[in-house]
Amino acid sequence: MIGMASVSYAQSLLGAPETRLTTLDNGLRVASEETGHATCTVGLWISAGSRYESEKNNGAGFFLEHMAFKGTKKHPQTALEQQVESMGAHLSAYTSREHTAYYMKTLTKDLPKAVELLSEVVQSCSLNEAEIEQQRSVVLRELEEVESNLQEVCLDLLHATAFQGTALGHSVLGPSSSARNLTRQDLVDYVNSHYKAPRMVLAAAGGVSHDELVGLAKSHFSGVSFEYEGDAVPVLSPCRFTGSEIRMRDDALPLAHIAIAVEGASAASPDIVPLMVANAIIGSYDLTYGGGKHLSSRLARLAVEDNLCHSFQAFHSSYSDTGLLGIYFVADKNNIDDMMHWSQNAWMNLCTTVTESDVARGRNALKASLVGQLNGTTPICDDIGRHILNYGRRIPLAEWDARIDAVTPKMVRDICSKYIYDKCPAVAAVGPVEQLPDYNRMRSAMYWLRF
Amino acid sequence: GYPNISLSTPLPGIPKPLFASVDGQEKYETKITTLENELDKKNLHFLKDEILLTLEKHGGICDCQTSRDTTMYAVSAEVKGLDTVVSLLSDAVLQPRLLDEELEMTRMAVRFELEDLNMRPDPEPLLTEMIHAAAYRGNTVGLPRFCPAENVDKIDKNVLHSYLRNYYRPERMVLAGVGIEHEQLVESARKYLLDVKPVWGTSSAPNVDLSVAQYTGGIVKMEKDMSDVSLGPTPIPELTHIMIGLESCSYLEDDFIPFAVLNMMMGGGGSFSAGGPGKGMFTRLYLNVLNRHHWMYNATSYHHSYEDSGLLCIHASADPRQVREMVEIITREFIQMGGSAGEMELERAKTQLKSMLMMNLESRPVIFEDVGRQVLSTGKRKLPHELCHLISSVTAGDIKRVTTKMLRSKPAVAALGDLMELPSYEHIQAALSSKDGRLPRTYRLFR
Repeated sequence: MIGMASVSYAQSLLGAPETRLTTLDNGLRVASEETGHATCTVGLWISAGSRYESEKNNGAGFFLEHMAFKGTKKHPQTALEQQVESMGAHLSAYTSREHTAYYMKTLTKDLPKAVELLSEVVQSCSLNEAEIEQQRSVVLRELEEVESNLQEVCLDLLHATAFQGTALGHSVLGPSSSARNLTRQDLVDYVNSHYKAPRMVLAAAGGVSHDELVGLAKSHFSGVSFEYEGDAVPVLSPCRFTGSEIRMRDDALPLAHIAIAVEGASAASPDIVPLMVANAIIGSYDLTYGGGKHLSSRLARLAVEDNLCHSFQAFHSSYSDTGLLGIYFVADKNNIDDMMHWSQNAWMNLCTTVTESDVARGRNALKASLVGQLNGTTPICDDIGRHILNYGRRIPLAEWDARIDAVTPKMVRDICSKYIYDKCPAVAAVGPVEQLPDYNRMRSAMYWLRF
Repeated sequence: GYPNISLSTPLPGIPKPLFASVDGQEKYETKITTLENELDKKNLHFLKDEILLTLEKHGGICDCQTSRDTTMYAVSAEVKGLDTVVSLLSDAVLQPRLLDEELEMTRMAVRFELEDLNMRPDPEPLLTEMIHAAAYRGNTVGLPRFCPAENVDKIDKNVLHSYLRNYYRPERMVLAGVGIEHEQLVESARKYLLDVKPVWGTSSAPNVDLSVAQYTGGIVKMEKDMSDVSLGPTPIPELTHIMIGLESCSYLEDDFIPFAVLNMMMGGGGSFSAGGPGKGMFTRLYLNVLNRHHWMYNATSYHHSYEDSGLLCIHASADPRQVREMVEIITREFIQMGGSAGEMELERAKTQLKSMLMMNLESRPVIFEDVGRQVLSTGKRKLPHELCHLISSVTAGDIKRVTTKMLRSKPAVAALGDLMELPSYEHIQAALSSKDGRLPRTYRLFR
């Protein structure tokens, strides 16, 4: 079938615009992809997050995110807000365990102004004392609101138990005592220890010209420091995974939220792709999916036929030297035992009997979702920023495609066995969780006696 | 004959995945949601596993969505699967099996969705239903979008077939695609969609409801105990929600763009946070309402527009004891819309609207929906830069003119929660026809 479309899949993968990468003298990296859109997203991705915090200043990064748009030395708060609003741009930020990002969505013609504003937000945030006091209550209120988002609570507890006693166990938002006690000096110290040029990437996607971007970076970001005070370069301490469980039983809640995970692969590990394919085989499900018992994932079909749960998803969070490979589900209090049994069964299946058709399906689903997610300048820009921080380069779709195609059923079985089979899981449960099996029973479902 | 075939625009860069869809247009039925869950994966020629296998071979995902005036079946897959995908769509849309057990499963899914709607702390979908019912009493877009609970059991194969016979007709359908060659799409369409006999038969004259939406205005109230709506451990304060709307215009009229700019100028959102710079913190509902009255939980402006009418409404929520004050603040905002718009304010709203339009059109599913809907209702597609040009040419005079027209229509009011302090409909109507937007004074003997 020649010429089914203007370009074939393989051709378009190879012909995808290249992500260009330049490094400035102070170590700051500039990367961009020119997609030809009339709009663009440009932002700074920084290797900083809750993992770099200690018990004392846990929550500093999150608090800093709140202070970011409250005024810079050149643009006091109202002036900054009005600038952004009049440009019709959107200024946002997020903090995660290992990354912090400040980015702006705007029309391509406003790129220079956007880079200027971003450089001010990151380098010369005013951190006004009065504003800090005011933001305390805002942060506390947000902490309160997050308590109602049980998915966040469950996954946070999962990290807290899986990486207990280490930096990855910290929640990104920090405890409420931080919101009450962090001082301006704490925030300044945080910025000075972590906002360094070699740990930053200026990424952009949209109708941007790489050369123009590099020029703007040179004029606004050349001043970012690359030296540490007292020459103390922070070294990330390893984060040990501990098989454990944590239960927050509350029978007043209508549904139970449960997550079970094993230690997964780090971001740069070659095992990442087979594990992603394995997760695509398990897939995800939600009660509102109309497919009913015709869904392709076996666990989803069981969930529908036996009414096991309201929703589930297989996830893999990877960090620079470790990861969490798991399944999260939301179920009624009387179905927890069954749902846990079948979830672990799905894992055993991956380690022992996964077939060629399953893997073929998983590969296709994964490819479609990777391509489908890059839908718009913001996801592309985010992808660029995170890839450069994790891998030092942007991994092109063609490479993902090749690596996915190389996954065989034997590879899935071997790699899943390496990570899942007979390993101690970490379990977190919130809600009416009386029916959740005892830890030892869940531990013994991590292997099969028939092998 | 066959459906209007729309232009397909290959995108720069990576054109995968391909989207193809068939639009069916209706806004007169309440059976919609059942269909949505049904027709997605069941059909005559393919067994269920075959459909999934076929789709999976091409890394495809499929979805079906209905709104008040359109139904969309979308499949996205690798480009070399174009032919297969179109044949799947044709089968799914024109020849669904609708077995009894499938219908039963769907009824369960629909019941669950309805339950979920009522349980959620966010009242917006419910309020949107209510305001439409109030504004277009008993007709067209005023009919409930979600299948009402009492109808779920009444819907069976015959009911669905009669609905399909009336509305799934070639002249009401558009096949749209993004990321594929137009000629290829036309060829596949000829192969799988031309002269195909739908499973419900091509019999008699259809019983199509061709009514035009009649804006009536009116009030719909729902007393509901909102004191404990939180699903988590943190309590959410008890709030009463109101939505007040007036007739705007259809998206086919020239005045649609000024109304869109007006909606952007009003803006609004939650009082806790706008969401950061750029999300409308200098819009009127923030500056005049939320920043001045900290007891208001939110004030947001919405614009719903259909082929023959439209509705501009403002949603606000506050503690039940302050409902009267809240209503008065909103009615005064409506009246002030008719005053002169500041130059900076207008420019900002126009820039934000253009920017939002361009940013949304970065995404392939959005482009695809845009192409499908525009061709379905107008037979052609206005390109983004044309729309931007139209937005740029809106003047303060245009805003004033459309507001004056809007204020002449009868108000539509929806209210949810503890309604003890809610002013009567006549009083709200009087406020919206007065010079300053204030409610008539009431004399109360007992406070």
